[in-house]
Amino acid sequence: MASLRPLSRGPFLLLLIFFVFSLSLLRPIQGNGGSDGGGGGEEFSEELLLKPLPDRKVLAHFHFRSAAPPSAANGRHHHLFPKAIAQLVQKFQIRELELSFTQGRWNYERWGGSDPISTRNAKPPGVELWALFDLPTEEIDPTWKNLTHALSGLFCASINFLESPTAYSSPYWGFLSNNGNLRYGALPREAVCTENLTPWLKILPCRDKAGIASLLYRPSIYKGYYHSQRLRLLSSESKGIILEQTLTVVLQPNSYTSSLLSSSDAQLQPSWSLSQLFKKEMTGKCVLAKSSKIFLELERGLLEKIVEIRDDSWSNSFFDLFPSPDREIKELENSNGQVGSSLYEYKVDNSNENKPLDVGITWKLPLVWSSVHAPFQASRFLMGSGNERGSIAISLQSTQTHDQYFGDLNDCTVPVIVLQVVPWYVKVYYHTLQISIDGKPQTLSDVIEKIQVTPSEDKLLPGTLEIMLRFPCSMLSATLSLDFDKGFLHIDEYPPDANQGFDIPSALVTFPNIYSSRSYPDYDVSDDSSLLHNLQEKYLVRSYTEVLLVPLTTPDFSMPYNVITFTCTVLALYFGSLLNVLRRRIGEEERLLAKKDSARPGLVPLLFSRLSSKLKGRKLLLKVVFVALVAVVWHYFLNSS
Amino acid sequence: MAIDRRRPKPSRRSHFVIRETLLLLFLLLICAPSPSSSSSSSSSSMHNNNWAVLVCTSRFWFNYRHMANTLSLYRTVKRLGIPDERIILMLADDMACNARNTYPAQVFNNENHQLNLYGDNVEVDYRGYEVTVENFLRVLTGRHDSAVPRSKRLLSDEGSHILLYMTGHGGDEFLKFQDSEELQSHDLADVVKQMKEKNRFKELLIMVDTCQAATLFSQLNSPGVLAIGSSMKGENSYSHHLDSDIGVSVVDRFTFYTLTFFEKLNMYSNASLNSLFASYNPTLLMSTAYYRTDLYERPLNEVPVTNFFGSVMKTMHTDSAYTGFSITPEIELPLSSEDTAADRILLENETHKEEANSDEVKDRSCSSYEWLKVLQDRLADEKSDTIVMYGLGTMILLLTVSTWLST
Amino acid sequence: MAEIRPYWALAAAAALGFRVLLLILFPGDLHLGSRPEVATPLTSLRRLSEGYWLKQSSMSPYAGSMYHGSPLLLPILGPLTAERTDGQPAHFYCSLLFVVVDFVTAMLIRATGQKLLLSRRQSLEYLNLPKLVKNSANINAGDLASLIYLWNPLTIVTCLGLCSSPIDNLMVVLTIYAACSRLAPLAAFGYVLATHLSLYPAILILPVILLLGYGPDAPPAKLFLHKSSNSDGKDPSNNDESRSAVTTHKPVRCFSRRPVVHFMIWVSIWSCYVLFLCSIYLKGLGGLQEMFKKTYGFILTVGDLSPNIGVLWYFFAEVFEFFRNFFLIVFHVNILFMILPLAIRLKHRPCFLAFVYTAISAMLKSYPSVGDSALYLGLLGLFANELADMQFSFFLFFGYIGVSLLSPVMHNLWIWRGTGNANFYFATGLVYSCLQTVLIVESVSTMLKHDRMLRKHVIA
Repeated sequence: MASLRPLSRGPFLLLLIFFVFSLSLLRPIQGNGGSDGGGGGEEFSEELLLKPLPDRKVLAHFHFRSAAPPSAANGRHHHLFPKAIAQLVQKFQIRELELSFTQGRWNYERWGGSDPISTRNAKPPGVELWALFDLPTEEIDPTWKNLTHALSGLFCASINFLESPTAYSSPYWGFLSNNGNLRYGALPREAVCTENLTPWLKILPCRDKAGIASLLYRPSIYKGYYHSQRLRLLSSESKGIILEQTLTVVLQPNSYTSSLLSSSDAQLQPSWSLSQLFKKEMTGKCVLAKSSKIFLELERGLLEKIVEIRDDSWSNSFFDLFPSPDREIKELENSNGQVGSSLYEYKVDNSNENKPLDVGITWKLPLVWSSVHAPFQASRFLMGSGNERGSIAISLQSTQTHDQYFGDLNDCTVPVIVLQVVPWYVKVYYHTLQISIDGKPQTLSDVIEKIQVTPSEDKLLPGTLEIMLRFPCSMLSATLSLDFDKGFLHIDEYPPDANQGFDIPSALVTFPNIYSSRSYPDYDVSDDSSLLHNLQEKYLVRSYTEVLLVPLTTPDFSMPYNVITFTCTVLALYFGSLLNVLRRRIGEEERLLAKKDSARPGLVPLLFSRLSSKLKGRKLLLKVVFVALVAVVWHYFLNSS
Repeated sequence: MAIDRRRPKPSRRSHFVIRETLLLLFLLLICAPSPSSSSSSSSSSMHNNNWAVLVCTSRFWFNYRHMANTLSLYRTVKRLGIPDERIILMLADDMACNARNTYPAQVFNNENHQLNLYGDNVEVDYRGYEVTVENFLRVLTGRHDSAVPRSKRLLSDEGSHILLYMTGHGGDEFLKFQDSEELQSHDLADVVKQMKEKNRFKELLIMVDTCQAATLFSQLNSPGVLAIGSSMKGENSYSHHLDSDIGVSVVDRFTFYTLTFFEKLNMYSNASLNSLFASYNPTLLMSTAYYRTDLYERPLNEVPVTNFFGSVMKTMHTDSAYTGFSITPEIELPLSSEDTAADRILLENETHKEEANSDEVKDRSCSSYEWLKVLQDRLADEKSDTIVMYGLGTMILLLTVSTWLST
Repeated sequence: MAEIRPYWALAAAAALGFRVLLLILFPGDLHLGSRPEVATPLTSLRRLSEGYWLKQSSMSPYAGSMYHGSPLLLPILGPLTAERTDGQPAHFYCSLLFVVVDFVTAMLIRATGQKLLLSRRQSLEYLNLPKLVKNSANINAGDLASLIYLWNPLTIVTCLGLCSSPIDNLMVVLTIYAACSRLAPLAAFGYVLATHLSLYPAILILPVILLLGYGPDAPPAKLFLHKSSNSDGKDPSNNDESRSAVTTHKPVRCFSRRPVVHFMIWVSIWSCYVLFLCSIYLKGLGGLQEMFKKTYGFILTVGDLSPNIGVLWYFFAEVFEFFRNFFLIVFHVNILFMILPLAIRLKHRPCFLAFVYTAISAMLKSYPSVGDSALYLGLLGLFANELADMQFSFFLFFGYIGVSLLSPVMHNLWIWRGTGNANFYFATGLVYSCLQTVLIVESVSTMLKHDRMLRKHVIA
């Protein structure tokens, strides 16, 4: 019994045992059968994409993909696929799920807004969770509740705060078109740290012990400007379960002591390598992975500059990539054969302890380029002062890149979907919705194509605004504004740090006609890189706005007893005095008094009555003294015992 | 250390306690016929597992040291053999990835920065706003929502030794949670009593590092409980030293010297609790460490510290081949699936009932408002606004006529 | 003072002109609609237009916990509050409508006052107290009351403050007027609509029945009995005259069932009709059940904790959650508790009883506003003769001024500047409640004293 108990505890241990098992089982197979994953078609692949960003930073995008085929024969046994996740999918009938932990804000202006990496991996700060269920409508909400709890246990985060109906919403088409089986929730203030990454890594077959995941040195990741750890689940009858885990970090490479550099070198991009970014080098792949690759991407803006000088694309007068890549994959720009971005592939298989792989770039000449933007840049802000009311404004600024997306500017329009979820204590007046284009207010019906409002219910439901707008392409800026009143909460509903304010989760701006995708004609399907596959997939361009911090007025938290007593006193005053007025019959009292006066008492009874009244007073005094004495004795007795 | 004696913030806590006590009474009534047997069984049961509940109750950056205290203890008990699944770690704020932390994802309890307490393997079970008095009491008593995962529960039994470590800001008979709630000594005593009644522990060691920590134990009265506090009533507990890189104090004195004691030990050492107690030097601590041993039966010099701070398992020799290992998943999985099935059935029943109810309601309303419905249907194709306007107009007309008639 | 009449039209016109002037001079710049003292969650027109917008987009107007008023106000006021683009400020026509409503209310108060005056004169004459009738303090209460109502800054603020309280007030005044003039259908109409709009006027059923049954205010019935017995016994010479007096007065004092029965019938007719209209308006959007939940339920459960001039908001923001229901019951029962004792002591003065009820509910209601005070202060003027020697009137007058000046200041300090805190604002709310308590208690005791004085005169 004693040694049985630990086994009954939690999915973690099961997971651990399972890993030990799978590892020990798979080692010999690996030895014999080469890279053909485990039996039953379960696959795992690991990839890393590195990309220099225009503002001297580096993007690193880790991509892990596990797939379990739908075969019923597998039952509950998995060789590679994490069992905890498989159970999650089975128990909650999840069709699609995405969970992201993000710290920092994706800089759409500098790091790009419409390439596949940014549209997929730019996430709102904090935790974002959405799931599509394969369940009848009435079962979805309880299942969601259980799911949030399960995930909170699995990833050591307070995702269970999303269980309350005030925290999540079910958008109809603003997020993904669905038939009421989507639930979406965000916790903007959730802290993201090591304890969230650790269980996330434990899902990987090699954890962070081998392969690309071993690069994840915590302090250097969390020192970054942005990091977003994402888990995406897709499950279907035909394809089984696909688990995609990505981690996107934007890091600042340590450049040499800048004070020693000359002025021309100050503009030079910092050179970096894996070992410098992560304090580690690649020393072999995870043996369970089917493919293990590192890509280095150079953006179109960068390559255009080089092509002008007609240099070799990876070793030229501007920079050198080292070691030289195994392969170059070029993107085909769909319009008029322009230069597209390039991917340089490195195979991790060739590296080992003795011959570590350390991918990097050395810059020789300064180069300035810019990344690809979305047609509009969305930002959101609060207007007004004071703690009574305010307005939310979402502004869209054109990035002047329309020629990329639309041909003719004159009579073309661009649709934009805005999804905005506000907590109930921000009481939005939807009738105050105003839209102005280039500073001119518009008639709503001209601009709004479709609108869906789910107003918030006090302490029950957050408000959801889904709105599809159609703007002219030539527009420079547009602003949406909504007025709101700030709610007043019960003192128990305020968090411990109430004066910090409350967060409104990010709004999501989607461009339903614009897809981000890359096409690589050289890429062959047999290669089966899931990262490349993802890059080629059509994906809607979307961007998240900032999280807003709304300060709410607070009552005095130390007042409850005072307030109760004061209020009750006033009420008692009213009740008592009014009743007194109604009860008194002055006429009769006067008559009584007169009677008393007329029957003048003798001296003795007068004295007697005075004495008795005095005694009465004394009795009262005696009583008081007695009670006090008893109290003192009691206190003394209690203290001494 | 500031002792902020605030008026206790009203919370659901006392309500919770009332409910708990009611429940307890109920449980007592049920258990009444066989108290002797249960108590005898609990006393006879063997120590067979170890649990640790480590709580940091303070929020905000300047309370960095409280988190460092808790994490140091976390590291120590893990080093001495308690696995992560048996440790409930509650941290009220995020210090490791705090924007003010110059060492992201790292927490140190010493200015030499030798040891990163926030290593690669920290599992925090309750964090941030989740660290409330209510959740703390729930963890100890084991009364959770059915959805709460196992990793967030204290699944101890009558053979468990539990270490309960708490640190934060406290005062006379209370410990503050997140600057907004308080855990009072009565609550603590009550919850320990309930745990005893529910056979949730064999022995419990409560270690508290706050100001006036000793006062928190004054109401305890359950057998098998041992309590260590960092300071007596009227004394403050002080921090040990300031780290000028981090900018705040990084550890409290009591915890610091506790750790120095444990650093010398490993899983197999036999140091007794007595030696731990003896290691506290009031001049170094700048407060008097307090031990409450009157509820504890065994002599302290015979109890090794690893009984609480580590997990030392006894090996049981069996003659036949052990089959439990391969069976376990089968035992567990049906159980869980049954659970969910039962849940689902329950849910289904409820929805059926609701549906039935609504049907009934509908029926009733239909029968009484038949004419209304017909009328409304007839009016349906027109705009209700205009109809109501006409209605209001008619109302005025009717009003004038009736008034005129009645004069 | 007695010669108000010639100037009445002038003063009333000036009051209305002043309102319109303010309306034109400050088109929407007064921001009175967002003052918590003026517009409550129940009466705010901003919320009403949100409800109207929701209804226009074929959602229930009650979705979103914004609108909590009657559905019947939506089709009337909704189009008026909709944003205009043709130069006129939004809400302009709505405020104009409220100016008219205020005028009608004032007219009704005046008419009520005249009825009361007539009845008072008759009864005093019957009681042979001509010196009281001809007293210098004997002013035309109706004119005074209507002018008080029109010129009361609280009324003006309410009228321009974009809230629906003027309509609520009109319905209450209409009820009282119609009951005074014994117009059962009209009284029933006013009563039903007032109750429908703000629930609290439901307690006016007692004074309305008394008014319909006995007629307007008069000295206690005992005095008449006393007088008639006296005159029967002592003054045989005046026998004919007194008898004629008795014949003219007796029916007044007798409880006549007919109007009351009529009233009841009409109440049921009107309420059915109103509910029918509501159900048509809300058809397919939640229906009557949701309406009751979101209007009466919202009033009774004090769901909105935003500050107002009452005390309940802060109380329920701070009180422990598990005592909430208890205190909800206590506060609401407090209104009901006083109904019967007051009705017993003041049954001969139903109009005054109605005034006291309005004042009590204005003080204890869940979402009080200055509009409620404006109403009972206006009604107070009706009893200027009886309450002439009320105590503390000076104190009350300056108390009201002080509170109405301090309350915005405290609110500003707390909400906008962030330098004060909620306690300051709550304190003004407490003071305001105390003032109202004093006003109610003093007016009741003065009225009782006045009756006693009459008795003295009659007996002496």
